[in-house]
Amino acid sequence: CSKFLDVNVTPNNPTAVPNTVLLPGAEFGTAFANANELNRFASTLTQQLAGAANSPQNYDVYVHSGADFGNQWRFELYDGALVNYQQVIKQADASGSKAYSGVAKIMKAYTYALTTDVWGDIPYSQALQGEAILQPRLDKQEDIYKGNQTAGIQSLFDLVREGIADLSATSATKPGNDDAIYKGDLAKWRRAGNTLLLKLANTISRKEPALAKSVIDQVITAGDYIKTNADDLNVTFGASVGSRDPRYEYTNISSFKDDLIMSTRYLTLLQGLNDPRLPIFFTKPATNYVTWDNGQTGARPSPVTTWSRYNSYVTGANGEGPVRLLTNFQRAFILAESALILGTAGDPQALYTEGIRASMTLAGLTAAQIDTYLAANPKVATLTGTNAQKLEQIITQKYIAFTGNGIELWNDYRRTGYPVLQNSQNAVGFDGTRPVRGLYVSQELERNPNFPNPAPQTNVKLWWDVD
Amino acid sequence: QITSSDDGSTLPGVSIQVKGTTRGTTTDANGNYQISVPAASRLVFSYIGFASQEIPVGNETTINVKLASGTQSLDEIVVTAQGIERDKRSLGYSTQEVGSSMLAQKSEPNLLNALQGKVAGVNISGQSGAPGASTNINIRGITSFNGSNQPLIVVDGIIFGNDVNVTGNTLFQAQSSNRLADINPETIESVNILKGPAAAVLYGSRASAGAIIITTKTGRNQNNKTEVTVTSSYNVQNVYGLPKFQNEYGQGTNNLFVNNVTTSWGPAFAGGPTSVTNLQGQARPYQAYPNNVQDFYKQGSIFQNAVNIAGGDVNRNFSIAIGNSTQKGITDLSKFNRTNVQIGGESRLNNGLKISATGTYVQTVQAGSIIGNGGSAFGQITRIPRSYDLAGEPYQDANGQSIYFLTTAANPNWAIRNSTLDSQVDRFFGNFTLGYDITKWLSVSYRVTGDTYTDRRKAVENIGAARAPQGSVTQDNFFRSELNGDLLITAKTNKFFLEGLGANLLLGNNINQRRTQNPFVVAEQLTIPGFLNPSNGSVFTSSGETSTLRRLVGYYAQASFDYNNYLFLELSGRADQSSTLPTSSNTYFYPSAAISFVPTDAFKIQSSVLSYAKVRASMARVGRDADPYLLNSTYIKTTYGNNLASITFPLALGTPLAGFGLSRRIGNNTLKPEFTTSTEVGVNLGFFNNRISLDAAYFFTRSTDQIFDVSIPNSTGFDTRTTNVGELQNRGIELVLSGTPVRAGGFKWDITANFTRIRNKVVSIAPGVLQSGINGNGFTGITPSIVAGQPYGLIVSTANPRVQSTDPNAANYDATGQFTGQIVINPTTGQFATGIAGQAVSNPNPDYMLGINNSFSFKGLTLSALVDIRQGGQLFSFAAADYRNGGSIYVTGIDRDQPRILPGVIPITAADGKVTGYRPNNIQLSAQAYWAGLGGLAGEGSVFDATNYRLREVALSYALPKNLLNKTPFGAISVGVSGRNLFFYAPGYFADPEVNTQGAGNIQGLDLNGPPNTRNFGVNVRLTF
Repeated sequence: CSKFLDVNVTPNNPTAVPNTVLLPGAEFGTAFANANELNRFASTLTQQLAGAANSPQNYDVYVHSGADFGNQWRFELYDGALVNYQQVIKQADASGSKAYSGVAKIMKAYTYALTTDVWGDIPYSQALQGEAILQPRLDKQEDIYKGNQTAGIQSLFDLVREGIADLSATSATKPGNDDAIYKGDLAKWRRAGNTLLLKLANTISRKEPALAKSVIDQVITAGDYIKTNADDLNVTFGASVGSRDPRYEYTNISSFKDDLIMSTRYLTLLQGLNDPRLPIFFTKPATNYVTWDNGQTGARPSPVTTWSRYNSYVTGANGEGPVRLLTNFQRAFILAESALILGTAGDPQALYTEGIRASMTLAGLTAAQIDTYLAANPKVATLTGTNAQKLEQIITQKYIAFTGNGIELWNDYRRTGYPVLQNSQNAVGFDGTRPVRGLYVSQELERNPNFPNPAPQTNVKLWWDVD
Repeated sequence: QITSSDDGSTLPGVSIQVKGTTRGTTTDANGNYQISVPAASRLVFSYIGFASQEIPVGNETTINVKLASGTQSLDEIVVTAQGIERDKRSLGYSTQEVGSSMLAQKSEPNLLNALQGKVAGVNISGQSGAPGASTNINIRGITSFNGSNQPLIVVDGIIFGNDVNVTGNTLFQAQSSNRLADINPETIESVNILKGPAAAVLYGSRASAGAIIITTKTGRNQNNKTEVTVTSSYNVQNVYGLPKFQNEYGQGTNNLFVNNVTTSWGPAFAGGPTSVTNLQGQARPYQAYPNNVQDFYKQGSIFQNAVNIAGGDVNRNFSIAIGNSTQKGITDLSKFNRTNVQIGGESRLNNGLKISATGTYVQTVQAGSIIGNGGSAFGQITRIPRSYDLAGEPYQDANGQSIYFLTTAANPNWAIRNSTLDSQVDRFFGNFTLGYDITKWLSVSYRVTGDTYTDRRKAVENIGAARAPQGSVTQDNFFRSELNGDLLITAKTNKFFLEGLGANLLLGNNINQRRTQNPFVVAEQLTIPGFLNPSNGSVFTSSGETSTLRRLVGYYAQASFDYNNYLFLELSGRADQSSTLPTSSNTYFYPSAAISFVPTDAFKIQSSVLSYAKVRASMARVGRDADPYLLNSTYIKTTYGNNLASITFPLALGTPLAGFGLSRRIGNNTLKPEFTTSTEVGVNLGFFNNRISLDAAYFFTRSTDQIFDVSIPNSTGFDTRTTNVGELQNRGIELVLSGTPVRAGGFKWDITANFTRIRNKVVSIAPGVLQSGINGNGFTGITPSIVAGQPYGLIVSTANPRVQSTDPNAANYDATGQFTGQIVINPTTGQFATGIAGQAVSNPNPDYMLGINNSFSFKGLTLSALVDIRQGGQLFSFAAADYRNGGSIYVTGIDRDQPRILPGVIPITAADGKVTGYRPNNIQLSAQAYWAGLGGLAGEGSVFDATNYRLREVALSYALPKNLLNKTPFGAISVGVSGRNLFFYAPGYFADPEVNTQGAGNIQGLDLNGPPNTRNFGVNVRLTF
């Protein structure tokens, strides 16, 4: 009768799968996490968008609770992208396919950076171990960025460097079309890895200028980083139901599409700068842009069909996106900032201009149009004044260029305070201030006693957020 | 001759058996019988629904017997586990029988609904008034964290599948039936509820939540006559339990008209604008449409017809039953139509061979519309402004697209027709039993039963639907089959070593196989409007198949002893071997023991007051196996997101891209069975010649080693891990009090009260785990959960912060204790301070339930009325939040221009930010801010007391006098009227709280925008030829 009872193998799910399906599942997890609810939150806080209803309306007046990002923490980051990058690395190491390890390590580092930049101290060195460690401890954000040998914590920098090294090792199999980002182009991955080092260094540069400078110096010396828009680390979605960029879904399709509208403050900023990217980044279905001020109360503009929303630059014409995770313009702005503040190699002005040009080119403007704009707007084109004023110019341009990637906007804002953003109208929140961190999600707090109790509120700054 | 002691009528078909042998006969049409017996034997007279009697033959040649009937009968024959007929007095555990007269012709096509309020220890709750909506039933509380807590259903020995198959997601599906709905109540002879594990242990693991033994009508009692019974009824249904609305203020916010909001916080009609412009730019009068919600619902109807033909006698008989029920629901397109054809018969050959078989074919067609928050008709009907003329405005344009005042949702009249689910069930179930009496004390039988169905479904979201703007067509086909083979060997003697000591021994073997298959094709992004075929889809990535196969082999034995018919002992045991557990631990044994004692007989107590007393006690333990496929970790197709935005692999990129990831659940190949142990003590008392009887039981169950997906921190990379953990306890009291206060002339008043009080407690979950979600679909921030130290099924959501005096480190600490428990108010806004997520806010479990049935009969006239009381328990209601937030219910219109203050206290803070004390809230809010402040969807503000008192059922029937029928072909004619849910009173909620949008299952007490309940009444007729 043992054979009669031997029927408990599931026909519904595979018990082993190759890296060719794990990697894309994870890559889209990172992109989805960046562009979904976290972007609704961060782009509202940084006033590119204004909340017209539901959660974004709360975010807009700084109301945020531990229930907001459950899906992001649980299913997009830890149980989505991160654990599967880890599994790719495990399987690749076991089968001698180092190319997969390299890609997965770079993306894992990127995704952990995203996670710690939202929540601060997070499970890292003990995370993703399944039953082996059922209650992972929190690692300090400082240790995550810098590493801590005594505590057995590998720095994100080292994780990226390990990934870059893996890319050059011999590899039994290599990613191809299953790599949704670079289609298996390992040279591009190497450049992305080095650019990620720049981003990580830039993030902690206010707190750890010396470390940041040394990382950036190394990358500049090696010279193998993203230098053209074609090398951007983008995740491109599809054009049909179930394949589309979340920003397209919640801007144009889902029943929450009227939660968000362009912020009046963003409109004012771009119009003040005569920025030609405005109609490319946001729609103008009516004669004028129809916007809403952050935190404003009262009846929303009607009809909703006139609202200015994300345009196809952000969402793709039919939902393709892409989600831009690491970009050429970003690299240029980071180097401009570093040259200006940390004294790394390069001319801040040249790098700044390079960043603007890269962004405008990406937005579809011709070189001639860009020339015309820069010539007509010297206040934009030329860095002037104190270092702080120049930094404000750089970050403001980075802010415009990164329209649609709220996490990057929020990081730069918390780090530098630029662009200067006035508080929302009717701000409520924890103490009336704009959140400087995400609240730990309630499920994790309930399940993991290692989390602080009470958990830090939205006004407690992250480690790298010095002022 | 055998007659009824009630009215002296003759009883055909009474079984007469020579005690201790298999020899027997039945009475004929006139209640007469003949049997030749050895001297000094005892005859046992038994008849379902009547008290059995045992009479020594002695030298008598004629023995006339009067059998007593009725609900207060204490010694009736009941059908217990494995179809064994037992004298109720011999049972050491609680069972409760409901006869056909309590179930048929009650304006209710669903058997479980018809049982509501009629059984103690049982919690039955309808989920909504949608046609065919499922009904939840739990017997003696919840005993499993994750397993099914629905009892085992057995129909004529056939293990009967009662699953609720869900298309999509319980938050958003149309309400599907539990498959017991395939049974036609008109064919039922009796329903016996085996409440505890002791009663059900022979059925094994699956009866640990109790068992419902349904016996259908046979020809056994027809005494060689063929009888034809025709029943017919027609009922109408109307929506019932809607809230009362205000009709003074219309669409808008802040006293201004706004044409695209769901709220009725606009200007007053009196003195307000007379005409406004709607979203479509048309001028419309600004006025109240008092019935705009009520009129959304139509009158429904239930038309039921059945023919039963039965003939034969106890040795050879047959029965045929054909029934049809055609129900039109209260919303457009909704229906529940069921056709049953049943054929059965048995034959007892002279050589001792017995053959019996039944076979039933059912076709059930159900149609409904999707439910749920926001994107469904039911999610919008609670958000209609008072000034929106829902009935008068067109709901679609020339292209069939919704016209509405919102752009993110569809007009309810459009959604109800365009977001639909159709289901067609074809089901066959039957049994075949071959028995042989080897000697007069030893018999053997083998029974094969099968139950199989397919449920072919089509779920449609037309282009423009809120949840699938580009449309989708889903073909979702469920196949289920269950086969059982049971070998039963029984031996009995009435002289087991001792005179007066009877013994029965039963040995059994069960082989069980259950198979399910659910292939589904999801065609999304339709091209041609209205062409509802998967070929119209462009994206098919959500398609797939889920199948299961599980097998079980069980061995069981039961020895029962009776001593002089007043002392009884029953010992049972069963060992199961299950395919779903690891080989090393897949065999498990569990025993039960039950004892009962009848002191009134033992001590020959002859009292005019106490006529009968029985005490009983039982202990049992039942093991339960796992669901299939829990032992291993697997990979799942990658999906991200929710109804805000989502992606599903394979992605439609230039080249389709496949994606899989680790499943969120960690498997466990060391699982063990979970166990429930139960102790029960009870007493049956009869007073005044059994005019009044009481059946009281106390039970305590302890369920351990729960097979559960324990929540683990997501930072582990996983969400849950399957393991044996935790403990659940239930303790409860059941009382059945029945009596006949008046019996005079032809008049009789019977009263039966069923009282149930169950205390359920999650004693522990897992080390370090204080709460964990129940498997199922939930909204973010509203998690049906188990919480250590609390009853099962609490809703964990966001609670308002309250002042507390126990923890000095708490944010809202008050050392004085003066303000303890008050809600903290935000000092700047006057609203409640930011809520605290992850708190248990709602408890769906009632404190007690009480059903009181009064029945009055006079000659052929019978009037019965059932009052059903559910005291306590809470409902988490989206509708309430919608209605209050939206300013549409009546209370929001009262003194609307007056400012008001939320209840609570304002913290007084020192310069350093420390809270030094509290003061009463004095910040005035507008009515709109106040009602919105009481609570949005995902929080404590949505929780209401679900206490309700209900006139559940009223039936009046009249049986024409026999003498009138003498010259007609009819043997009996009765006509009646009946009504259900005629009136309810719910002091803590402004609508009917007996709803649950999640459907039958472990998640209860959530109204997440589903169909309302109905009030039914109608007429019926029964003809017998």
